[in-house]
Formats: sequence, C-alpha cells, structure tokens
Amino acid sequence: MKALILVGGFGTRLRPLTFSTPKPLVDFGNKPMILHQIEALKAAGVTEVVLAINHQQPEVMLNFVKEYEKKLEMKITFSQETEPLGTAGPLALARDKLVDESGKPFFVLNSDVICEYPLLEMIEFHKNHGAEASIMVTKVDDPSKYGVVVMEEEATEEARVESFVEKPKHFVGDKINAGIYLLNPSVLDRIELKRTSVEKEIFPKIASEKNLYAMVLPGFWMDIGQPKDYLTGQRMYLDYLRKKVPEELLVSGDHIIGNVMADETAVIGERCVIGPDVVIGPGCVIESGVRLFGCTVMRGARIKEHACVSDSIVGWDSTVGSWARVANITVLGKDANVVDAEVYSNGVVIQDHMSKTRGRSIVI
Amino acid sequence: MGSSTEEKVVAVILVGGPTKGTRFRPLSLNIPKPLFPIAGQPMVHHPISACKRIPNLAQVYLVGFYEEREFALYVSAISNELKVPVRYLKEDKPHGSAGGLYHFRNLIMEDNPSHIFLLNCDVCCSFPLPEMLESHRKHGGIGTLLVIKVSPESANQFGELVADPVTNELLHYTEKPETFVSDRINCGVYVFTPEIFTAIRDVSTQRNDTVTLRRVSSYEALQPATRIPADFVRLDQDILSPLAGKKQLYTYETMDFWEQIKSPGMSLRCSELYLSQFRLTSPQVLASGDGTKSAIVIGDVYIHPSAKVHPTAKIGPNVSISANARVGPGVRLISCIILDDVEIMENAVVTNAIVGWKSSIGRWSRVQAEGVYNAKLGVTILGESVAVEDEVVVTSSIVLPNKTLNVSVQDEIIL
Repeated sequence: MKALILVGGFGTRLRPLTFSTPKPLVDFGNKPMILHQIEALKAAGVTEVVLAINHQQPEVMLNFVKEYEKKLEMKITFSQETEPLGTAGPLALARDKLVDESGKPFFVLNSDVICEYPLLEMIEFHKNHGAEASIMVTKVDDPSKYGVVVMEEEATEEARVESFVEKPKHFVGDKINAGIYLLNPSVLDRIELKRTSVEKEIFPKIASEKNLYAMVLPGFWMDIGQPKDYLTGQRMYLDYLRKKVPEELLVSGDHIIGNVMADETAVIGERCVIGPDVVIGPGCVIESGVRLFGCTVMRGARIKEHACVSDSIVGWDSTVGSWARVANITVLGKDANVVDAEVYSNGVVIQDHMSKTRGRSIVI
Repeated sequence: MGSSTEEKVVAVILVGGPTKGTRFRPLSLNIPKPLFPIAGQPMVHHPISACKRIPNLAQVYLVGFYEEREFALYVSAISNELKVPVRYLKEDKPHGSAGGLYHFRNLIMEDNPSHIFLLNCDVCCSFPLPEMLESHRKHGGIGTLLVIKVSPESANQFGELVADPVTNELLHYTEKPETFVSDRINCGVYVFTPEIFTAIRDVSTQRNDTVTLRRVSSYEALQPATRIPADFVRLDQDILSPLAGKKQLYTYETMDFWEQIKSPGMSLRCSELYLSQFRLTSPQVLASGDGTKSAIVIGDVYIHPSAKVHPTAKIGPNVSISANARVGPGVRLISCIILDDVEIMENAVVTNAIVGWKSSIGRWSRVQAEGVYNAKLGVTILGESVAVEDEVVVTSSIVLPNKTLNVSVQDEIIL
C-alpha cells in the first residue's frame, strides 16, 4: 500500500525550534514527529510513502529519509510543489506515485497530527462500506476552532458524512476532521493540478454523492503544530504509553511523579522532582534540585541547579541557568541560553543561539 | 551629679504615630513603623545608635503618638545596651513638629542640657551628630540643620533652603515649593540650644497678631475651628522660615547618603544603605560564608544568630534575615528582607521583596519584583503569615496578612 504525508510549509508556529530543524524532524516523545506516522503506516502494511513538500528540503531531512528507507525497508520519496496547491492539489501532483495497477486505496495524513493511528481498523472499515473515501474524525470540546464534519447519524461510530461546516457559529456537531484519510484512486480524478482544498471542495462533493464515510478515532488526538498544543499532545501521548507499553518507555522512581519519559543516556541529579508529563531527551543533564513538569527537554540540553521548568519546551543543546524559572509556554530554540541564574521567563520565545538575561519580552 | 562645667546633651527622636504610618502598610499593620527592622535592627535603633557617639549624652527621648506599651520592651532593652537612659513619651494631642518638643520642655531641660538634638525616626542617613554639634558651637545661634544636596527635579518634595556658602547661615527656607528654589534640602536632623523653646513660645503668642499668609486646604477651611490652636507649632513653617536670614539658624551639609523611609519599598533601599555602612563601621555584624560549613554569602548580608540557613543556599547581596527564620537547601535570596519566623523551602527564589513574619515560601516558588524602591509595586511585600505554595510565582505585588497563594500573581494588591 502507499501513503502521502502532507508535510507542508516552514513550521512557523513552532519557531524557534524550526529555525534549526525542519518541522517533520522536530522531536516529539523523543522521536522525530514524522517517524511516528511513518512507523504507524508501516505497521498497517504501507510500503511506499510520499512526502508532499513545498520547498527544497535541507540535507538533514534527506539523510533522515535515506536512513529510514533502509531501517524500515520502505520506499520514501518527495513530491515538491512549485506553486501553492492547497490541501488537495499535492495529491494530484503525486498521482503517479500513489496509483498502480493494484487499484488499492492509499492513505493521506496531515503531518502535525498525533494519535493512536488505528490504520488497520481503518482499512477494514473502508473495505466494509465499499465507498470511495474514508475519513477519521475525532470528538473535540471546541469544534468551531477547527471545522466540523456533520455525520448522517450523529450517534453512531461509523457513518456516512453529510457535510463539512467551517467554524460554525451554532453547534452542528462535535466531530472534526482528524487529518487521516483512506482514498480510492478514483478520488484523484476529481482533483485538478491547481490550488484546491480537500475540506472545502473535494470532500463536500464526494459527500454529496454519499460516497464519503467517517470513522470516529478511538483514543487521543492532537494537532501539535504549536507549542501549547504540542505540550497538551505530549501529555496525552505519555498517558497512552502508560496504558499500552509502560515498562519500555516510562521511568519511575522516588523523584518521579506521574508519566515521565527519559532517555537512558539522560542524567538526573539529586533532590529533583520530575513530572508529571515530562519528556527528557538523550544526553540531557538535569542538575540537582531541579523541578520539571509539563515540559519537554530536548537532546543535549542542560538544566542547571535549583531551576524550575514548567509548561515549556527547552530546545536541543540549550541551557537553563541555575535558579531560573522557565514557565508558561516558553520555547527555547536550539543552543539557546537562559544565561543569568535567577531569570524568570514567562511565555517567552527565545531565539536559537541567543542568550536571555531578563524575562518577559520576546527575543527573536 | 552633673558639674556645671560639663555640657550635657539630650536627644529627642520624633517617632510619629499610627495615623502617620499608613503609607507603610501592610508592614505597619503588625508593628509600629519605628520598630520595623532595617538592616537587622529596628528603624529607630539607627538614629539612637548614632546618638551614642555624642559626647556627654545624658538622655534620649522618643516622642510619638503610639501607646506606651508598644515601646516599653524596646526602650528598656536599648537603655541597657546603650548605657544611656532612653524613654518613650506619648503626646496627648497633635502639637506640630515643634510643639511636641515644647510640650515636653520641662523633662528635656531636667538635665540642664546645653544642646538638644531633634531627629526624625524615619530618616536614613549617616547621622553626623558630633560633627554637627562642633559646627554649631563654632557659629552659635539657636540651631543647626543637617542639609543635603539632591537632584533639582526631586527637591520640591522636601523643604528647600538656601545657605550662605561661607558662614553656613540659613538664609531662606520654604517647604515643598511650587517652583525651584534650591537643590539643598532639609534632612530632618537638627541641633538646638535651649533658646529654641523661647522661639517656639513666641510663635504661639504672636500667632493671634499676624495675618495667616498660608493657604489653607478646603478640608481645613471647612473645619469649625479654622484657627490653628495656639500650641500647634510646626518646625518648618513656623520656626525655620521666619528665623531664616536672622543669623539664628545655620546649616551643616552632609556628603553621605540620605533617604526617607516612607514606604515599605524604601525600607529595602535603606537596609541596603545601612548594611553597606556596617561593612565600614562594624563588619563583624555582617555574615560571611563560602558554601562549605555555611551558606554562600555575597555582598552585605545580615543574618540573625538564631536564624538557620542551609549551606547550599546562596544569600545576597543586600539581604537581612531576622530571628528564627529558616532558609532551606538551594534557596536563592537577593535584595530582600526576611522577617522573623519565616520558612523558605527548597530551591525557592526571593528577590526585591519583603517577606512578612511567619510567612512560608514553598519549594521552587518565586517572590520577586523589579526593585524600583519608590514605585508602588516596585518591591513585592508579603504581610504577616502569608503562605506561597510550591512553584507559585508572586511578581510585583502586595499581599495582605494571612493570605494563601496557590496560583501565580503579578502586579496585584491581594486583599
């Protein structure tokens, strides 16, 4: 089977992390974001993945692809648009790569999505209803933020899609597009090679022909394309791991509270209190007396003595100074430095390779 | 005892009263402002200690509106320590800044002093009292004022004066003028001869004769008795201004520091000034440590002997820690006053703040401010028994007594 991942743009909402690293390679749960999806696709029997991109990828991305083609024994290729094609156009662009004589359906994934990826169940679902397209939907508390998928029978788990409503003013339903599709090759005949929207043009048309079915995604779902949601997604992901494979990936101990993932090469000092909802990457050094909760500490970062980091992301190779307080969705880019001991950083974005001596303003 | 050839000196320190200490809230809700600790000692202790350097000091009087029992303990302790009698005198009603002195003239003159010092308790300076006395003896007259040069922009908050640069005579004096008069201001420290009492009495008797040139506020005008009572005499308007230029009053200029302790934030600034003065005059009072047996100490720090500070804490500069306070492992204190019985738990940070008696500061929490001493929220103030829970951040705020904070706050006055 084949799949397309809409990798898209420059990852501006995850700056400054994306200044030094392409968004698909930004770590989530100590693994590049896109690897979560590629591994899930492999587990569902996909052998070829096309990455739809809109600009030349840096060498680090090309190397990643080469490495994992070998490791996973899959074919991973790029499909680069030269002009904006929206959310549907890239499918047409990659047509030749997605369709073969077998006529099998192909997956389409949005790159920023994190969830349990029940792709085998989705294949089964698609076979059973026999229609042209399947889409995963997920229930959310604030549907108007995203765009609602209205099902024909609201109460059931799997049903035909009636319509799509963008940011409705009144409540029309609480299911939104989860960004995971399984499409028959015939869908490609509907898409012209120009800027087209899947949600606004293609799917509504298929739905009107009663050819679009939706499956409610079991388990968690999050769009982790911005720091606040990234951290919420991290909490959900760790909770999922605790229930499925706790011994492998989560640590425990006197100084650990709740769900904490820490690479085995990370060093944690004395009298720390870590967690809940913390991810610590390879080679990180957490000095003594440190408090971490609801945060991500990426590869090679150092948190110095007595500091406290909450609801924030500490980028690769960064340093958080002693007695510093990093809080409220602060994001440190690669090699950033909360330099002075004793600095309070509250919702600040700290540019990669830059030092911060006073809190509270955005330093770009 | 008391040979007539020995010239005795008496000092009078005006300590004010509860209605005058309102700007010092919430700290003055628990303790009379004059007893609030600055650099580890009650505020009034600093002028009293300075009086000790006056030769032939016979007596110190504290004059104010507080109840006698509020000062009883302090006064007996300090008398013992100083080996000079210190006595608190309660004014029965407002007499004005000079009228109060006059009201107790009999007591003050009991020792037949040749000179009388008058100090304001909430002045923070080096109190060069022996030097003032010597200067006064040289040119005679009724009195000598301590003066200091300040920035022209800030001068109009105080009493501005003009002095003769050669004779040091006080030529002109005006209180809080609207336009710029001079950048020399009145520090609130004076030395007088007993003739001052005559001068004050003359003001009372002359009051009925002269026209009141002073503009009264609407509040005063609406009072049934619009005439100021005869025994209400203000030092500035009624003594200094009229007597200026008559070869009666002189000035002594100080080149050291001078501040007024009106707001809680200023007490942190004055603590810093007095701590740095201790470094010069009595360094054994200050704390030291390098993290091995006792905590790392940076700059000027005072730690009460009964306070317990963990060796992994880092303290200073400009920190005062009062009796029975407990500072836990990994705590960082910068520019702050920690009052009695406070508990600060592991890895907390306190900077630019005053932490009230018996408060508790949770683990990894932060109590902080920008450190602009005379701005309203420039220094964070926690009243008595405030609890800051683990990991909470309190920024630029004032928290009234007995409050528990379990969420972070910023730029707020928490009732």
